[in-house]
Amino acid sequence: MGAYTATSLVGVLAVLALELAWFRTGLLRRRTYWIGYAIVVFFQCLTDGWLTKLSAPIVLYADGRFLGIRFPADIPIEDFAFGWAMCTLTLLLWERQSRPADGDDEPRPRPPRILRRR
Amino acid sequence: MVPDRFQYLVLLGLCLLGTLPLELVLGVRVWRRPARLARAVLPTALAFSLWDVLAIRGGLWTYSDRYTTGWEVGFGLPVEELGFFLVVPICGVLSVEAVRVRLRRR
Repeated sequence: MGAYTATSLVGVLAVLALELAWFRTGLLRRRTYWIGYAIVVFFQCLTDGWLTKLSAPIVLYADGRFLGIRFPADIPIEDFAFGWAMCTLTLLLWERQSRPADGDDEPRPRPPRILRRR
Repeated sequence: MVPDRFQYLVLLGLCLLGTLPLELVLGVRVWRRPARLARAVLPTALAFSLWDVLAIRGGLWTYSDRYTTGWEVGFGLPVEELGFFLVVPICGVLSVEAVRVRLRRR
């Protein structure tokens, strides 16, 4: 556990909190998002794999500041939390500007009861 | 081939090039909504640039002198990193919008 581990988890929680408390787009409950995100992760493995490969690294991570677990290839696993927070924040900001005329493929699910405004 | 120090920048260029057919061939409308795209991408790029500046100062990671240009935006932030925070989220929006378009057309 290092500073990168901790801050990347804080990033994930901050994005989740923004969605639940403010944006309320419902994006994270949509099939479109998760299929799209699977595609993003696949290409992240290729590009991030290139950036982090230990044979000729472009980004060099300090020992002891991350878990030291590199998977897949030489990618520090924290990069997946960092990348999720970055891409999902963008997607939430994109989504909250959507209008019905944009032709969303699924009806927006109602927020769970606990989150609905009275 | 490409000089080594442009490797990171070229990688970002390839990401943009690789996702361009989604807009031009598949008909995804992301680049064609520049204001909406800017309102989604710019706040994220700002937040993650700040995170990066702090991480660099805190010694969490460094960048290879060999594979980057050495050009900085300011506050020690490599131009490649700002590019990363702009390019990768745009590719993400294009990907999810592409799924939306495909599911709608079925």
